[in-house]
Amino acid sequence: MTDLVLENIGKTYPNGYQAIPSIDLSIEEGEFIVLVGPSGCGKSTLLRMVAGLETITQGDLLIKGNRVNDKEPADRDIAMVFQNYALYPHMTVRANMEYGLKNRGVSKQERHNKVMDVAAMLGLDELLERRPGQLSGGQRQRVAMGRAMVRDPKVFLFDEPLSNLDAKLRVQMRVEIRQLQRKLATTTLYVTHDQVEAMTLADRLVVLNKGKAEQIGTPMELYDKPATTFVAEFIGSPSMNLLDGMLTERGIALSDRLALPMAHDYRGAIKWGIRPEHLQQSDAVNGDFSLQVQAVESLGAETLIHGVLEDGAEQPNPIVVRLSGPHLPDIGSRMWLTAPLQHWHLFDAITQQRL
Amino acid sequence: MIENRPWLRFFSHLILVVGVFLVALPVWVALVGSTQPEGSFNSGSIPMWFGDQGVQNWAHVLFAEAGSTLQIPVWHLLLNSLVMALGITLGKIAISIVSAYAIVFFRFPFRGVIFWIIFITLMLPVEVRIVPTYQVIANLDMLNSYSGLILPLIASATATFLFRQCFMSIPGELVEAARIDGAGPIRFFFDILLPMSRTNIAALFVIMFIYGWNQYLWPLIITTDDTYYTLVMSIKSMLSVPDGDIQWNYVMVTTLLAMLPPVAVVVGMQKLFVKGLVDAEK
Repeated sequence: MTDLVLENIGKTYPNGYQAIPSIDLSIEEGEFIVLVGPSGCGKSTLLRMVAGLETITQGDLLIKGNRVNDKEPADRDIAMVFQNYALYPHMTVRANMEYGLKNRGVSKQERHNKVMDVAAMLGLDELLERRPGQLSGGQRQRVAMGRAMVRDPKVFLFDEPLSNLDAKLRVQMRVEIRQLQRKLATTTLYVTHDQVEAMTLADRLVVLNKGKAEQIGTPMELYDKPATTFVAEFIGSPSMNLLDGMLTERGIALSDRLALPMAHDYRGAIKWGIRPEHLQQSDAVNGDFSLQVQAVESLGAETLIHGVLEDGAEQPNPIVVRLSGPHLPDIGSRMWLTAPLQHWHLFDAITQQRL
Repeated sequence: MIENRPWLRFFSHLILVVGVFLVALPVWVALVGSTQPEGSFNSGSIPMWFGDQGVQNWAHVLFAEAGSTLQIPVWHLLLNSLVMALGITLGKIAISIVSAYAIVFFRFPFRGVIFWIIFITLMLPVEVRIVPTYQVIANLDMLNSYSGLILPLIASATATFLFRQCFMSIPGELVEAARIDGAGPIRFFFDILLPMSRTNIAALFVIMFIYGWNQYLWPLIITTDDTYYTLVMSIKSMLSVPDGDIQWNYVMVTTLLAMLPPVAVVVGMQKLFVKGLVDAEK
């Protein structure tokens, strides 16, 4: 059953600025949807529109089949976790978690039971009588989630909940959020600008750019078949190498001197893309093209090599290669690479759409 | 100062000691004077050490009468002052916190204009509007009453402004979290806003209590019945003796009594007061 449906949802501010032109999305029950995009792409606005904190100026928002466009946030049966947690500083952890239930007229005994259940699930038992000021960042994050969970809502909304945590804690909480969501099977809408978070958490991803959904799909769909150059560059780290080229009978001409043979019906200006991890080191005989090494980043398990394509073009084309294991090529040296055909991505140079 | 220069140290201590001396000397004179027998000030020299009349003087002033011109015990004046000061303070806090709440959290037409009108009233202290205010209070038949003493002084642009600044520093996400938790405007005000501005209320309480306590001109104008006299204004009337000597020993007792409540408020609330001004929480 579809839980949350966005039909032609749009937002235009009173000053005429169109933050979100139109988005269609239908979310199944228990699905984990991640809205991802660079800052200012409208992902938070969209989430806040679902929450009821921003008005919807166009389209319909349906939760469990009911149109909730004009309902107050409290009446939409949603719960939200904010980036800064937004815990009430003067209330204890228990009071923070209870507050929503209290306003709903839930009895004291029931409130107590619910809080204890959730506290046990999140490991907050010991902290119930403390105030937010006495908690660490990770604990506050947990309380914020607990506050959302006690309400037992139909939809969870997360607004960049992990961006205030340090790297290690972020990884830990990411796993925890995923496990909790699986366990509770509550439909979830999660906003982030971090593509690793997006890839690891999502059942389906929505990549937003300037208020438009560039692509909606599973993380692997987006990785394997990015619909646009924007998605191609956004998903994956380091991002995909994209080079300008021309598709002709002979193949892809990346410059006057460099062409890659390929049979394709399309003719004209394209963008040719390949992910850094799909480039392979080779020798001068078998290599498709060569690279002049400019910087080497050794990460232990893998090595990132930044270089410039030796194609005789006036504008140097930067290329990133990701090789597993340690490699130490000299700066300025030449490196031959092969680009396996099955990993190529071709995009129309004008529309930026996948060919 | 991190560096350690003996002369600088000596000099700064000297300034502090002189400052303390200047402030403390009049208080000392008042304290000593309050224990002197009648007439000891009239001999031409100011006594600098305690006399033997302390208990009698204090008992007389507190419970019998304040002096020959004021046939009313000082405890009654203290009570009047307390009622007025507390009334003004609580009224100011209540009115300004509600108006700041409206200005910060609600979108209504002419919101900005209304705020500026409130702000401009800063330029109209009691002294400026005293004649029309008197007229209004007289027409309302509130001369010689506690409400007459309190009501004209309870609107405060300063307090409204301070609460506004305090409310504006509350993160928007907190307001939104409360909305999602189903807290309407009234609930939000009492459950979240009021407890969060606790320290600001305390700081304003201190400032406004002292302001109310020290009111001189307004009580002087609207009270003609000495059962409504306040302590601060009666000191002046104790000094204006038509013939005979000023009873300095009684004046000193009254002065000290007038000083005590503000001191008590400041000492008692100084922790909250400082916290409210520097605003560490949130």
